[in-house]
Amino acid sequence: MANEQRIKPDLQFVKDVQAAGGEAVKKCYQCATCSVACPLAPPETPFPRKEMVWAQWGLKDRFEGDIDIWLCHNCQTCSDLCPRGARPGDLISAIRNITYRDLVTPSIIGDWMSSPKHLPKLIAIPAVLFLLIWLITTGFKLPQGEIVFSKLYPGDYTIDPIFILVASFVAFTFFKGVTKLWKSFGKSTPSTLQIGGKTKKPTLIESLKAVIVDEIGTHSKFNDCGNDNTERYKGHLSLFYGFVALAIVTGVVAVSHWGGKIITFIAPLGHTPMPLWSPVKLLANVGAVALIYGLTMLTRRRINVDPAKSTSSYYDWYLLGVIWAVGLTGLGAEIFRLAGVPSLAYPTYYLHLISVFMLFAYLPWSKLGHLVYRTTALVYAHQAGRLPLKREEEKTFLV
Amino acid sequence: MSSNAILVVGGGFSGITAALEAAEVGHEVYIVEKNPFLGGRVMQLNKYFPKLCPPSCGLEIQFQRIKNNKKVKFFTLAEVTKVTGKAGDYEVTVKIKPRFVEPGSVDLSDTAKKLSKDVKSDFELGLGDRKALYMDVPFAFPNRYVLDKERCTKEDLEVLSGSDVINLDDAPKEIVLKVGSIVYATGWKPYDVTRLTNLGAGEIANCVTNMQLERLASPNGPTCGNIVRPSDGKAPRSVAFVQCAGSRDENHLNYCSYICCMASLKQAAYVREAFPDARVTIYYIDLRTPGRYDNFAKRILNDDRINAVKGKVAAVAEDAGSGDVILTVEDAVTGIKSDNRFELVVLATGMQPSIAGERLPVDVPVDEMGFIVGGEEKGIFAAGCAATPLDVMKSAQSATGAAMKAIASVRGR
Repeated sequence: MANEQRIKPDLQFVKDVQAAGGEAVKKCYQCATCSVACPLAPPETPFPRKEMVWAQWGLKDRFEGDIDIWLCHNCQTCSDLCPRGARPGDLISAIRNITYRDLVTPSIIGDWMSSPKHLPKLIAIPAVLFLLIWLITTGFKLPQGEIVFSKLYPGDYTIDPIFILVASFVAFTFFKGVTKLWKSFGKSTPSTLQIGGKTKKPTLIESLKAVIVDEIGTHSKFNDCGNDNTERYKGHLSLFYGFVALAIVTGVVAVSHWGGKIITFIAPLGHTPMPLWSPVKLLANVGAVALIYGLTMLTRRRINVDPAKSTSSYYDWYLLGVIWAVGLTGLGAEIFRLAGVPSLAYPTYYLHLISVFMLFAYLPWSKLGHLVYRTTALVYAHQAGRLPLKREEEKTFLV
Repeated sequence: MSSNAILVVGGGFSGITAALEAAEVGHEVYIVEKNPFLGGRVMQLNKYFPKLCPPSCGLEIQFQRIKNNKKVKFFTLAEVTKVTGKAGDYEVTVKIKPRFVEPGSVDLSDTAKKLSKDVKSDFELGLGDRKALYMDVPFAFPNRYVLDKERCTKEDLEVLSGSDVINLDDAPKEIVLKVGSIVYATGWKPYDVTRLTNLGAGEIANCVTNMQLERLASPNGPTCGNIVRPSDGKAPRSVAFVQCAGSRDENHLNYCSYICCMASLKQAAYVREAFPDARVTIYYIDLRTPGRYDNFAKRILNDDRINAVKGKVAAVAEDAGSGDVILTVEDAVTGIKSDNRFELVVLATGMQPSIAGERLPVDVPVDEMGFIVGGEEKGIFAAGCAATPLDVMKSAQSATGAAMKAIASVRGR
């Protein structure tokens, strides 16, 4: 044959995909129910049917630059309707998990994040680090008097430098990841054939605004999905805004503290510990409650979900687990501090630091990386016009 | 006391075949049929494989063979309610519902016309009406009317009381049969379309099932063989077939129903014969055309107005204004997902064993889908679609096989 195509299956890739949550992929018989069921799939090369055959056949290179794994919002409508129980939704999640693992260097972190057997190492890094600081500051003793965490971990010399370093590392890693993704999308995303009225390509700013304000801000895609997503929608939205509130609080504290060294009158705004009536503290507590509420909803959904329709991978449980740890130790430290129990307050704060470190330092290799990667993909898709098939009179084929 | 009589449960093509095979070698045979007439699903078809004959053709011969053979006795409106005993010595209780019409083949069509009330016909699968006094088709067997007394008005009953062949006092009966072996030929039913929620759940007027299309195409059907849209009676200019509507799907029927691909190809030919300008599209996962049927498929698909597209339809919607049906499908070869508008859509629904979800009066193993998968050591044999999805030809073969086994099991005693 003139245009013979040789398929080079990567069998290890098939095994990786199955290990990362796509165990059922081999059951697929390519009926294409999933691509139709998906309310978010675009008209040209829709997902997830093509991903199913690529994964079955070990065509790893086809996934490079496959923007569709990020357009999927994991509502599981495809898996519900799948006649074979092949769980396409889980396959797409598995491919995302492999992307978290492989996208950016150092790849050792990706490896460690991919399996529970490496969890002790991931915990040990911050545990040893913060234990050393404890040893240096007080010689591993509990400070006397009013409970102030900076007695143990002085912000200026320990917490802030460490987390500024971590943040810079994460930001740099994300920069690399986003650049890599953007370039790969350019190579693989099909150009969209426009039928009907002419449309102008939106600018980057317009697309960013559309994605962040209209989609992420409202979580509108969760409700565009076919299945009843109420529990997930409420949980994810609440968790998201919980994080937003806590990010604002952290920002206020950091800016007023460091900025206060120059513009002195803003310094008291973020001075910790704050009184409970402080609006910043109020926001922090509201954020923490939203966080816990969201976590409860999301965890409950994962526990109750029908395993024949969807399973949860290690990536899902790692993220939920770490956020639970952050939330509970954060609230715990505050409660024990207010209750005046130093023997519980300081150790809980120590655990809080470990979990916060685990959430942020490994972020680009964790499922939370979707915060950045998915946003990148949604902006790219918005610009490229890769949008869901909508029923429009002029786009219905008369047969 | 052992018996070498054989009971056949079900009077469709398989049951009739099994009964005749056994009777023609000298065994006494009883057919128990729950409907008022024999012939089963084949009776509802317009044409059937392999020769595309109308059902009157093959069944008429079978009915003649039954009439001419004193060894075959059949009971209609009858159901087996209890089976006791063991292989070679079964006692079977059969409950027979009243027919309200005396034996003989008196033509009661004039009497039926006098009745006021129209009743939805099960035989026409919701597409047509009948009177309470009826025959499914003109060549029905037995050629004897049946009265649906519960559906009669007071006035109707008065009209009927005047007829001397109608016995309004007919009552249910119970009989006991002694047999040595039992053949289960309970056949199949079309899968319940209301469960196919993403395919319209039977609520879209111009989205019919393949069995409904057989009735529309049948000369003795509700439209006298005119394939028209149920909503407005118009001839469709474009028709789509949705394959695997419920079949090969673990949420519905977790197996291939075997016949639907051939049925759709056959029906595509009905449409093209009736309407030379019509276009037909068949949406499939795999077109399964076993054995010699492949030649038939090639011939049908050679028509450039019949198009086969690989891709399962997973969403069906009605266009309210026109009554057209919009199918959403991904063509898995081109990778294009699109909405496609058709004037008539046919869901190729699969076959579900008639006994699915029911409790049998005999203790035989049934798989999770309702097919009979054993019981032979008890002298109970499944024939035709009670055992596995089959076409008419293979059902007949399967019935012959079951009859042979039944004969062997009673002969050995």
